[in-house]
Amino acid sequence: MKREEATAVQSGYPGWPGHSWRGPEAPFARRNRHLTDLIAGKLLFIVAVLAILVVFFIIGFLLRDGYQIVLETGIWNFLGGVDWNPAGSPPSFGILPLIVGTILVTALAMAIAVPLSMATAIYIAEIAGPGTKAVVKPAVELLAGIPSVVYGFFGLILLTDWIRILFDRPSGSSWLAGSILLAIMAIPTITSVAEDALSSVPREFREGSLALGATRWQTIRSVIVPGAVSGISAAVILGMGRAIGETMAVLMVTGNAAVIPDPITNVFSPVRTLTGTLGIEMGEVAFGSLHYHALFGVAVVLLAITLAVNGLSRLIIRRMQRTPARSRAPGPLMQAVHGLIPLSLPHRARRRIIHPKTTQKFAFLLISMGVVIVLAALGVILLEIIVKGAGAISLEFLTAPPSDLGRAGGIFPAIVGTLYLVAGALAVALPLGIATAIYLIEYTADTWLTRGIRAAVDLLNGTPSIVFGLFGFAFLVLFLNFGVSLIAGQITLGLMVLPTIIRTTEESLRAIPKSLREGSYALGASKWQTVWRVVLPPALPGIITGAILSIGRAAGETAPIMFTAAVFSSRYLPSSLFEPVMSLPYHLFILTTSVAGADDQKFGTALVLLMMVLSIYLIAILVRHRYNRATVV
Amino acid sequence: MDDSTILETRDLNLWYGPKQALLDISIRIPKNTVTALIGPSGCGKSTLLRCFNRMNDLIDSARITGRILFEGDDIYADHTDVYTIREKIGMVFQKPNPFPKSIYENVAYGPRIHGVRRKEVLDDVVETSLKRAALWEEVEDRLHEPALALSGGQQQRLCIARSLAVEPRVILMDEPCSALDPIATAKIEDLIIRLARDYTVVIVTHNMQQAARVSEYTGFMYMGRLVEFDRTQRIFEDPTEELTENYITGRFG
Repeated sequence: MKREEATAVQSGYPGWPGHSWRGPEAPFARRNRHLTDLIAGKLLFIVAVLAILVVFFIIGFLLRDGYQIVLETGIWNFLGGVDWNPAGSPPSFGILPLIVGTILVTALAMAIAVPLSMATAIYIAEIAGPGTKAVVKPAVELLAGIPSVVYGFFGLILLTDWIRILFDRPSGSSWLAGSILLAIMAIPTITSVAEDALSSVPREFREGSLALGATRWQTIRSVIVPGAVSGISAAVILGMGRAIGETMAVLMVTGNAAVIPDPITNVFSPVRTLTGTLGIEMGEVAFGSLHYHALFGVAVVLLAITLAVNGLSRLIIRRMQRTPARSRAPGPLMQAVHGLIPLSLPHRARRRIIHPKTTQKFAFLLISMGVVIVLAALGVILLEIIVKGAGAISLEFLTAPPSDLGRAGGIFPAIVGTLYLVAGALAVALPLGIATAIYLIEYTADTWLTRGIRAAVDLLNGTPSIVFGLFGFAFLVLFLNFGVSLIAGQITLGLMVLPTIIRTTEESLRAIPKSLREGSYALGASKWQTVWRVVLPPALPGIITGAILSIGRAAGETAPIMFTAAVFSSRYLPSSLFEPVMSLPYHLFILTTSVAGADDQKFGTALVLLMMVLSIYLIAILVRHRYNRATVV
Repeated sequence: MDDSTILETRDLNLWYGPKQALLDISIRIPKNTVTALIGPSGCGKSTLLRCFNRMNDLIDSARITGRILFEGDDIYADHTDVYTIREKIGMVFQKPNPFPKSIYENVAYGPRIHGVRRKEVLDDVVETSLKRAALWEEVEDRLHEPALALSGGQQQRLCIARSLAVEPRVILMDEPCSALDPIATAKIEDLIIRLARDYTVVIVTHNMQQAARVSEYTGFMYMGRLVEFDRTQRIFEDPTEELTENYITGRFG
């Protein structure tokens, strides 16, 4: 054909070495690039569709097992019933106290977390110098890295005790304790999203205000915060979603009585949340019983609430991204929020009774106090655990199996079990997640399919981890009859981290400039060659960072594995995928809640878990840091 | 088609979605010469350039009618392999876009994806290509350093070397100097003139002096149409169309 002619002519070009690399035979790679391209495209498509199917399957499965309770009791008796007593005769399944409990705990947590987070975000974005910023920002990120069971441990051992003594109550396990813990856990989410929003307010707004003689505080209050209000609302709602979906910490400190506080403002009353109910009761429920179905009903309600909350925040964020800051006209909702800002912040500019500089001093003082409280919370938690845990750490503790219900011996099988679980979770989530992300970014434009996949990923991302646990228990453990096993835990954790991996991979691929792809295509490279050789290599550090973050998250989670994979005390390591394992978070949970004494072991386990997770995050931060430096040339 | 024509379009129309970007373009690009495409922003010159190696395939909304012939073959024909077309018709972009790899790997990338494995062949191709792109002396002792450490002008010559390594017949250049300073621009212009001995170069440029300096033929485009195509000297000294004359003399654009 034409090729041979062209080759002949080209080899004769003056100046070229006598042997052009073009032989008469088209090499294998050339002949097959269309086939490779086709296969790669189809495979990626199948995996991406699989990801979306998994999501629908999870929801379908929950609905399948949950709708029967509504048939049995009626929707209003279920949602509006004030009595949750599955063990009574006759049993009653009214989840109103659980819904109220969830709302109360979350609301008070937000009341604590939002001002502290705002203070921290404003401090980091507007006030702190580079030196303090370099301390405060990672400290807040560190808070996000502490596993929820460690928060629960801290709450149960120390916080509830302090509340009991300070307020002279018979027990500190209460709504207040739950809210304080949730507030600490929501602070990093709210702070980091709000700080992003504040930092992205265009520079000229700031300069414009300062050039008119406004103080820094006046600029922050009347220009920067209003300019970032969408992002701040999204931050608050995201934090709320995190709080609603949290299980372990809440379960460990709220006392778990399914009652509506009386009076409703009694913050020392015990409460029980939707997530806590699942965490407590799922393990001991009879398969297929009414109680079993009622718990799935609870999971569906929980999912619906988190879905609504996360959907709202996504809506706000999307609005924000679609319109650039300077041309954005506030909608009715945002106008209402704008209207609230002058009310919520000291607003004395019109009547100059107090000098603006005095106001600024006072405002900055309040903000600094907020930051100090956040840092103190981190410091207290870390110090308590490090100081009291360090004594328990010994070679035996790290290398021996536990004995006497964890009161003696070590935690070796739990350390190894956690590693097994995490490795398996990655083996499930990495290929699936990376392939889905490649398909989304490289192989399709914006179609109904990609929108569907992205929506499914978002949905999966907002799903509380206990719901994954429930799904794993019902589908993998019972339906597929895996039993409580390593593999069931690995798959459950894998599904949980899948959205993180898809997201971070998508972001790293998106960051690769289009011009590199064009450069490759212009040389005659096929789509797959371009993706494999040009796009993926520079995206790799970002993908690795995402994978490491997922490892950290999977290693610290308790809720997804407590019904699917974990056993409390095992002298042996599992010899097959179908045997249960010990794991650090679950071990800490049981030690804390069910084993009297053993203080050393509790603190030791908490410290080991904390160090393991934090060092994983540290690695992620280092990788990202190195990568950022390498690309700035 | 006569022997001296290498690329030809016949009644080429192109739409981006509902917007028509090229109208009835018929042009013959002579072999082993430099042809410049000039015209005001948005006149379609880059779009036309991207038709020659089917880079517009990457834009979903793009749709074309008419024919584009490379050495007499329709490049949009069913049996035509788009990747082979791009091997024979290389492209250099407005902003230098070296891959974030070493200098060596940038040049070796093309031969590698087309199946070359042997190191001595690759070494040979890298050296020859860099020499032809007038970059060899500046980089021969740091071939394995990152390409992104080079200056903008060196990066652009590296991109030219990278496309030479695939042994193309035609090199399309889309405003290759617009991101460069005058000294780097002069080097690239020099190179373009020398390349025309062995290759056909089609260059899109904003800069009329550049077109006059480097090209033998010039096409003037305006609002998606090819207004006039002739020897460069003729276009600049005695254009047939008034529109061309107005543009050349700087009355608009």
